[in-house]
Amino acid sequence: MADVIANGVRLHVQRLTPRGGPRPGAPVVVMIHGMVMDNLASVFFLANGLADAGCDVICYDLRGHGRSERTPSGYGMANAMADLTGLLDGLGVTGPVHLVGNSFGATLALAYGCAYPERVASLGLIEGPFLLSGLGEEMSRSIQATREAVSDDEVREWLEHSAARGVARMAKAALSLMEQTTIAEDIRATPSFRAERLAALGRPVLAVYGGNSEIVDQGRELARLVPDTTLVVLEHHTHSVLREAAEYLRDLLRWWMVLRDTEPEVPVYHRLPGRHFETADWVRERRPPDDILAQNAARRARLAAEARAAEAGGSPPVAEPAGAVSGASGPL
Amino acid sequence: MTPQETLQADPELSALEARVLDEVAAMLREVIGEEYVANMEITMDTSFAEDLELESIEFVTLSAQMRDRYGESVDFVGFLAELDVDRVIAMRVGDVVRFIAASLAEAGQAH
Repeated sequence: MADVIANGVRLHVQRLTPRGGPRPGAPVVVMIHGMVMDNLASVFFLANGLADAGCDVICYDLRGHGRSERTPSGYGMANAMADLTGLLDGLGVTGPVHLVGNSFGATLALAYGCAYPERVASLGLIEGPFLLSGLGEEMSRSIQATREAVSDDEVREWLEHSAARGVARMAKAALSLMEQTTIAEDIRATPSFRAERLAALGRPVLAVYGGNSEIVDQGRELARLVPDTTLVVLEHHTHSVLREAAEYLRDLLRWWMVLRDTEPEVPVYHRLPGRHFETADWVRERRPPDDILAQNAARRARLAAEARAAEAGGSPPVAEPAGAVSGASGPL
Repeated sequence: MTPQETLQADPELSALEARVLDEVAAMLREVIGEEYVANMEITMDTSFAEDLELESIEFVTLSAQMRDRYGESVDFVGFLAELDVDRVIAMRVGDVVRFIAASLAEAGQAH
């Protein structure tokens, strides 16, 4: 049952349950990954942890991503919500579900909760872009930055010949998604949130942000506007907190889904020595893409010069485009 | 659980291990579906990241195929529950094969 037709689109689905199947009344969790340079693999490993803890967990690839159908258009928020409704209907899930989203997936989860509160039990929002005005423009800027970064001739060359196959395939999939579909325009049209709808949400919210994320202030604003929000800010972490603090997020979400009623205290985060992550200045300051490319070119030139000086025949620039690419996917 | 020690001490289980390795290798070739892997020898020491260059979404597909094939006898959800994507991709084929073989042996499906 890997595919479901939802809203007329074929979506790739992975449903994970505890050994022997979920108990009656077990929490049903739907996990939603981020936009463009992402797919359900990024939430799949958290999903296994939740299923092992007793949850009935549904992961899916958003349209155009991973193994789901790539439509030429229809990437806006309204369609993303219709896809999710179609998915739940297609799977026969009628009761309220716990939505867990990362980045764009969190924005979608919150929008869905505002639109269809009766279908939602709670929201787990990891690094969701959240604004009361200019949300579409904000998200569109980061798509554009990603596009510029992976469109760079040298990066394309690197992806073609030197990058690890996994990175190359992910980047190429992202590039063709941006070049061959309307995703960039559709995302630019994302409506901002409305304070009165948020105030009336009426569902518990767990919001997780990295203390060094460029959008941590959006998380603080969200916690101020949405009643019954538990805000967890992980110092030393960035927008990529899902990957950086995977173990803690697994514990935190298990607590949120199955232990919260009996253990009201939020699990304490113990940072491992050396785990410190910072957001690159150009992501934080949202500089134009030209600057990103200029920075990359300067770095490559410097590394090439260093390599020449050391008379080493290795390939020092290889790591650079990877940094640019994953960083550029930043605010989504 | 230390399946490796058990399996090495028991020739019958090594045969099971070899059978599972063949099955997993076939699934990997199908999931990756590219020329470079068709003729590659896949052994217990083959790594997902360096040797196979497996993409994380391909591991998702592989694990779904393994769930379908081995069913309730093998608790993949429990196996993956404590792992994150980086640790999974850093594994070797043998790590998965030994887990499957040990689970099948435990479930009494060795024959």
